[in-house]
Amino acid sequence: MKDYTKNKSPEMLEPFFPNELFRHIIVSCFLVVVELIAIIIFPLPFKLTSKPDSIPWFLLPLYKLNKLIHSEVVFISLVVVCALLFVSWPYLIPDGKGEHHNLWQRPIPFAIVVITIIFVITVCILNL
Amino acid sequence: MDSNDSQVVVSETADKSFLRELIEANVTRRLIPKGLSWFGCMGGLSLVAFIIQLSTGIFLMFYFIPNIRESLASIQHVSHSVPYGWLIQRIHAIGPHIMVGMVFSHMLRILFKGIYRHPREMHWVSGACLLILTLLMYYTGSLLTAHNVNGHHPIHLTRIYATHVAGIPLSMALFMGIHFFMVRKTGIFESL
Ligand code: HEM
Repeated sequence: MKDYTKNKSPEMLEPFFPNELFRHIIVSCFLVVVELIAIIIFPLPFKLTSKPDSIPWFLLPLYKLNKLIHSEVVFISLVVVCALLFVSWPYLIPDGKGEHHNLWQRPIPFAIVVITIIFVITVCILNL
Repeated sequence: MDSNDSQVVVSETADKSFLRELIEANVTRRLIPKGLSWFGCMGGLSLVAFIIQLSTGIFLMFYFIPNIRESLASIQHVSHSVPYGWLIQRIHAIGPHIMVGMVFSHMLRILFKGIYRHPREMHWVSGACLLILTLLMYYTGSLLTAHNVNGHHPIHLTRIYATHVAGIPLSMALFMGIHFFMVRKTGIFESL
């Protein structure tokens, strides 16, 4: 386990118990409240039917892509390749020189992410 | 007091101080860096959302019948005849939408802050697998009720059900084990 106290003055540290634990309890209660409010707002079951409007936002790109690509084999291979690229992302993007961790300061990874996001949104709003 | 007795006492106090040390080192005396971002709670919230799904899901397993003819009736039975069954069923059906939102914002934070960089590649790999498994979890779960709409499906309902309640959750538990072990090993990311 990592020791957070290394190279740090006491003012830069705080106790885990109760401070951090308390924060986690607050946000967990917040999550429970959000879920209960959602139950009040959406009383009917979310069902997956063949109609696009009942497909949740996070599966919409896949649904549209499936409509766009007529071959089942090509579609599944494409999804698998995308998943593999996504999983191995840290190994594909070369470590930038210097201390630039932030995506905003690294043009190539930033461009890839933005182009992917634009592509996904375009696929979603295509009227197929 | 014979020698045997005193030995037992010694080992007991040794055990107690071991437990006490464990708690002190990990909970009560543990110090963490100040000023962690609230946005950094998204991983923890994904975990809480997962635990909510797990506990409500176990409850639903007592009533769900994985059979094309009886599945809809069994869901209706939980929602209308079992006390508070509707609440559990609704939480289990709506929770995933919120959980996916939590996991996505957790992932986007790590992506945009570049936290996936060395030495945290394995955090990303295990986390990305968790995201894919979460989506598969949603898909298999929605097929369990979609059956009732379509009438039939080429894949047997029992297979989908087994994947949904055992196969995917167990692999998620495995990947979460890797994920949390890695986070503990490197410590959380601190921006300078
Ligand atoms: C079911 C899904 C997931 C759960 C329950 C989960 C849980 C957690 C928790 C509790 C932490 C530690 C605190 C924090 O930074 O929030 C964490 C850290 C991390 N997670 Fe996840 N996570 C999930 C999915 C993901 C995904 C999809 C990714 C990225 C693709 C990811 C990448 C990471 C990384 C890189 C860290 C280290 C952050 C740091 O060092 O501060 N996780 N995760």
